[in-house]
Amino acid sequence: MNVRVKAFARFREIIGSENTLQLNEGTPVIDALKTLSAGSLDFRDACFDKEGNVASHVVLMINGKRISSKDREKVVLHDGDELAVFPPVAGG
Amino acid sequence: MLTRSEQDRYHRQILLIGEEGQEKLKSARVVIAGAGGLGCPVATYLAVAGVGHIRIIDHDTVDRSNLNRQILFWDKDIGLAKTWSAGEKLKSINPDIEIDAVQATIDDKTAPGLVRDVDAIVDAMDNYPARYLLNHLACTFGIPLFHGAIRGFDGQVTSIIPGKTACLACIFPEAPPIEIFPVIGVTPGLIGMIQANEVIKYLLGTGELLTNRLLIWDGLRSSIETIQVERDPYCRECSHLYNDGVMREKLK
Repeated sequence: MNVRVKAFARFREIIGSENTLQLNEGTPVIDALKTLSAGSLDFRDACFDKEGNVASHVVLMINGKRISSKDREKVVLHDGDELAVFPPVAGG
Repeated sequence: MLTRSEQDRYHRQILLIGEEGQEKLKSARVVIAGAGGLGCPVATYLAVAGVGHIRIIDHDTVDRSNLNRQILFWDKDIGLAKTWSAGEKLKSINPDIEIDAVQATIDDKTAPGLVRDVDAIVDAMDNYPARYLLNHLACTFGIPLFHGAIRGFDGQVTSIIPGKTACLACIFPEAPPIEIFPVIGVTPGLIGMIQANEVIKYLLGTGELLTNRLLIWDGLRSSIETIQVERDPYCRECSHLYNDGVMREKLK
């Protein structure tokens, strides 16, 4: 299946604004992000914490709907999904 | 009643919003939390629009490294209190409004008394702990919160009406790591102006606010996107404001 990954802010600078991943049907979101990390250590360092979990502040959305913190480890992707990854900015 | 001076000063926007709209701005009280890269353009544009009472809060003094973005401060102001310097400029740019420049650190002791009597709170902070405090107070007192944040060429804006829309903790439950953020001055300039525009629309009761939407500015591509966001029924800050909300205590 194909999944489109849309990146924002600093993630966009690292991996570009859009990537299409070819994955097995039902791949967990975290595995899709690990696939992207395999191609970019900078993305891995920005997106994951030291324990290998998606960093808690990173906002994840599938087809425009936010994945809640408690669901982010178990949600899976389907063909045609758009996964958005957004690191909130903090400065003022 | 608008004075003759005010009728002249605001003539070009009275064409748009009428004297009635101008009166709404004149009678409004807005607090701007932070006189930095965001606070400077927000304060400037709310002042020239004629928002009648502007309270701007900061604890810092002007440093030379502020001057690439904090446009209310000039080279001659280095070393002065930001609130003093901002107050002086804002009073000069519009003597028909009241400026209340408060030298204070925004914390859980000072903030409640500084925000509870206003119509709108502008989040012009540079860190999430202070933002979460403003969000908490906005939800506690039922005051709209206008959030903006920036880094580098990137920015984000959203508007929060407590009890009706997603709050800051619904959208960003966890704070990003603290860093000395890089920034080009245009980014907070643009984001601050969008915040000011949101405040003006809210005070006038016109247009569509950026509620339940997060506006994302990408300055490197000159693109703006808005993404839908929604209330978290388990939100630690605002779930108690809703009948369908689930109090965190109940989950424990």
